[in-house]
Amino acid sequence: MSSTQTSAWRGLLLRRAIQVLALLLIIGSVCFLMVRALPGDMAMRIAASRYGYDFVGSAAASAVAQELQLQRPLWQAWLEWLGQLLRLDLGQSLVSGEAVWHEMAHHLAASLDLAVTTLILAMLIGLPLGVAAAVRPGGVADRIALLFAVVLRATPAFLLGILLMLLLAVHWGMLPAAHDDQGGTLWLPALTLALGLAAGLARISRSAVREALASPACEFARSKGLSDFQALLRHALPLAALPVLAYLGVHLVLLVEGTVVVESLFAWPGVGHALVHAVFARDVPVIQGAALSMGLLFILFNLLLDALMLAIDPRQRKPGASDA
Amino acid sequence: MPETFSARLARHCGLGLLILIACFALLGPALIGIDPATQSLGDSLLPPGASHWLGTDVYGRSVLARIAHAAQLSLGLALLAALSAALPGVLTGVTASWCGGRIERGLVMLADACMAVPGLLLVLLFAAIAPGQYWALYIGLALSLWVEYFRVTRAASRPILHGDAVQASRLLGFGKLYVLRRHVLPALTPLLATLLPLSAAQAVLALAALGFIGVGLQPPTPELGVMMIEFFPFYSEAPWLIAAPVTLLILLVLGMMLLAGDKELT
Amino acid sequence: MTQPEPDGLRRRLLQGAGLGALALACPPLRAQPAVKPLLIVSSWEISGLAPAASGYIFTRLQVTETLLDAQDDGTPKAALAASWKVSPDGLEWHFELRPGARFHDASPVTAQAVARSLNLARTPPGVLSMAPIRSIEATGEKQLRIRLSSPYMPLLSLLAHSSTMILAPASFEASGTVREIVGSGPYRISKLEAPHQVETRVSEHYDGPRPAIAEVRYMAAGRAETRSLMAESGQADLAYNLDPASITRLRQRGSVNIASVTVPRTVVINLNAAFSGLKDLRVRQALSLAIDRPGIARALLRDPELAASQLMPPTLAGWHDASLPPLQRDPVALKQLMREGGWTLGTEGWRDTQGQLLRLKLQTFPDRPELPVIAGALQAQWREAGFAVSVSIGNSGDIPLAHRDGSLQLALAARNYAIVPDPTATLAQDFGPQGGDWGATNWSSPVAVDALQRLVRGGLDKAQLAAQRKRLLQTLHDELPLIPVCWYRQNVAVSKRLEGVSLDPLERSFRLTGMRWKA
Repeated sequence: MSSTQTSAWRGLLLRRAIQVLALLLIIGSVCFLMVRALPGDMAMRIAASRYGYDFVGSAAASAVAQELQLQRPLWQAWLEWLGQLLRLDLGQSLVSGEAVWHEMAHHLAASLDLAVTTLILAMLIGLPLGVAAAVRPGGVADRIALLFAVVLRATPAFLLGILLMLLLAVHWGMLPAAHDDQGGTLWLPALTLALGLAAGLARISRSAVREALASPACEFARSKGLSDFQALLRHALPLAALPVLAYLGVHLVLLVEGTVVVESLFAWPGVGHALVHAVFARDVPVIQGAALSMGLLFILFNLLLDALMLAIDPRQRKPGASDA
Repeated sequence: MPETFSARLARHCGLGLLILIACFALLGPALIGIDPATQSLGDSLLPPGASHWLGTDVYGRSVLARIAHAAQLSLGLALLAALSAALPGVLTGVTASWCGGRIERGLVMLADACMAVPGLLLVLLFAAIAPGQYWALYIGLALSLWVEYFRVTRAASRPILHGDAVQASRLLGFGKLYVLRRHVLPALTPLLATLLPLSAAQAVLALAALGFIGVGLQPPTPELGVMMIEFFPFYSEAPWLIAAPVTLLILLVLGMMLLAGDKELT
Repeated sequence: MTQPEPDGLRRRLLQGAGLGALALACPPLRAQPAVKPLLIVSSWEISGLAPAASGYIFTRLQVTETLLDAQDDGTPKAALAASWKVSPDGLEWHFELRPGARFHDASPVTAQAVARSLNLARTPPGVLSMAPIRSIEATGEKQLRIRLSSPYMPLLSLLAHSSTMILAPASFEASGTVREIVGSGPYRISKLEAPHQVETRVSEHYDGPRPAIAEVRYMAAGRAETRSLMAESGQADLAYNLDPASITRLRQRGSVNIASVTVPRTVVINLNAAFSGLKDLRVRQALSLAIDRPGIARALLRDPELAASQLMPPTLAGWHDASLPPLQRDPVALKQLMREGGWTLGTEGWRDTQGQLLRLKLQTFPDRPELPVIAGALQAQWREAGFAVSVSIGNSGDIPLAHRDGSLQLALAARNYAIVPDPTATLAQDFGPQGGDWGATNWSSPVAVDALQRLVRGGLDKAQLAAQRKRLLQTLHDELPLIPVCWYRQNVAVSKRLEGVSLDPLERSFRLTGMRWKA
């Protein structure tokens, strides 16, 4: 038993390690190609982002091109970047001149705060709703869960965000409207993101719990005299946890990158915001840094989920069944 | 399992709703007969009334006419994006579970790598390659959506391919194409039928999200996602404006969920 | 002892109720300090420490000072320089620094430090690169000399610009890049989190009167809706750059005051006067005659007074010429002009004598949210008048690029004519013999160039000054190297707890030192 377990763990880690390598290669190449393929003058873009629309101009752009040595052949810049990466140096932002590591650490901390809070909020809202919907199909909770899912699937995040802002910040005065480094500014953006995720969680946990309740194990438990509630708690919920975790694995990507709109609405200094601005500015080191940190965050989350699934479900420890 | 009456009713309601939306998108522009680009700054932000059923936007254009045109363009393009994501996704998914072994592992790795690259980055890059062109945005979206189809198809086709029916067919000497047509496709169709419209809705919202950060606006073509951005600043002054495209999208999603019933995917 | 405000108490109760698990994941809520800092929110992000990049934020926050300041009408006013004089030939300027001035690190503001800052500010796009400067050097502890190669009147104005702000020697790395902002203003930086946030507090080393507001926090929030709700919910005390829809809402709700001031920024259509039909002055005039400026101002900007009847707004005293015939819509005159030029109107639009359809592309950018909206209206109005114009929304840098490579056709931009307090400098950059990135493209006029040269050289009396300005503006008005569309007003939501708020029409300062909390 223990040897199959270690081999399963090793497989898991190996797979994620390969993912990390692939990520590095893809992002490196994408950024390299991007410089070559995108229309528009890079120096002008950087100047526009640095100095704003009032000052961007030919003189500013040529000063930028000279300062950043943008006329260098591409392969030279590419090799230099690779060398830097090997030394774990992501370089400096072309716009602000700050070290990308330093900038990313700041943004990543903000993003992580938001993602973790969102995840917890979403589970607190979505899971109970889904279980309640599953226990009584067609009941009130079921209807609410469906309505919730339908409306949130079709509502843009910025609309949801502004409505929450109006209600909770302006109308009730409970929470601050946007990020300002005071306490409490996390709740509104986290709630905006969490509602969307909770709707999906409610749907998936509903069907997972229903399936589990209909499973032979639960039938048996009930026949052995356990009440419905006990059967749910002891047998159905653990069984239902797997599909829910699998769902989270896919949709956590929303938390890492789907936050751009929410970050921009609530002035949250996250990675998505940095990535968008960097793409506008053709700030290649920051694009690389932001994309890398988003990807690594995503892989880290998935690694944690895989580990959780492995711990919950013994079937997963069989080789060759590591993902579904 | 026999369908209960209420489940059947829900399915019929869903189907009816989808047909209604399709009719609105296809016939609406002709029936309404107002040019969606005609401005009249004097009639800016009129509330819904007899001459403009859904009111007018900030330029004094008829929102009803714009919604009808937008429904046609957006839903069409969004479905196209979803289809172009589905095709490679399904093909690779079936291939993976059919061949197994090294090919499967390779494809899974590819999918994993793609998932780790922020989809946002892909979409932004495509938007930057051809600024203001919708097709570029949709290709970017398709590239970030295909993994979901791959995962679903692979998971769903594995039990079928390894099931008794397929084994029997093979033993009887039927070819690969036959197995695909008789066994795999019928099992995948309902899954895809629910997944496709959902990713179409996702595509519309993604376009709205992009518009929010200032990418992909192309006046004066009416497009649902872009309309949401245009109407958003008036959320308090003229809330009916933003309600219109969002309601259309809600109806679309509702129709799909009702039609899918319990089998839905999330 | 600080008592939590009821607001904070409610927040904490809410947090305690059932959300305990979340507290683990989030930074704990701090008790509200007795006096919270004044919160300013605007759309400008801090894109770097270089003075030319985000210097304006630090001068507006009164962290850094420039050698000179400006009064509301643009006349120079003493700042770090207490007095100045110019040699009769206009080639040598002498400045005497304010004797008590100290940087935030307690070191005195010396002429060497000033010269170092100014010399570093001479690279583009720093505005000093516009002036024909030969040298900037210290001639004493507090004496500074600037030598020019030719007389340049707007120099004082350039020295009031944020890219020429004076930083302490400790601010710079050896290479000349800025490491931190150590200024000499009444406030010093206590925390800087680029790109979103700066916190400042009163500096102990400032030699002027101590401001009443002790702590200030500045935040960048990209969306106008966010800023307006931050003001409405009482989170922000000053919210800059509000959009017309938000202002309408805030006016209706009445929970905050709205302050506004017309700023010398004009929404203009830049055009390439060498591009096919645009060579013909009549076509340019016709394009202008097709625009319903009052309609745009009323419906899109919600402010009928902002329809631009000429390039410069009436508030820019000395530059607005009431005698110019106002630019307005006139479909009849438009058709007549086009026909005179040999154009014929078909179903698709105007065709020239060869039957070639006139097709134009209008470029603009979304950094100022009103621009794409105005572009949409222009497109429809031109279509009605028979001009087939497509709109493309891209990056602000695309416009100078198109100007440079000659691919520009039409571009919609918002040009600030008081980048430095005296519009002469900006106008000279835009309408010189070579044209300018944000000014004329392939257009130049001997009259305009001559008038600009005289204005730049200086030494004019009041009547001569007015006459030269009139010549210049008249030419621009008649020949339309760019087409003015509307003016611009800065609207700010002001908390009712604040007193003494005034807005700077030149957008040089938030004027924090004049503000105080209501008792």
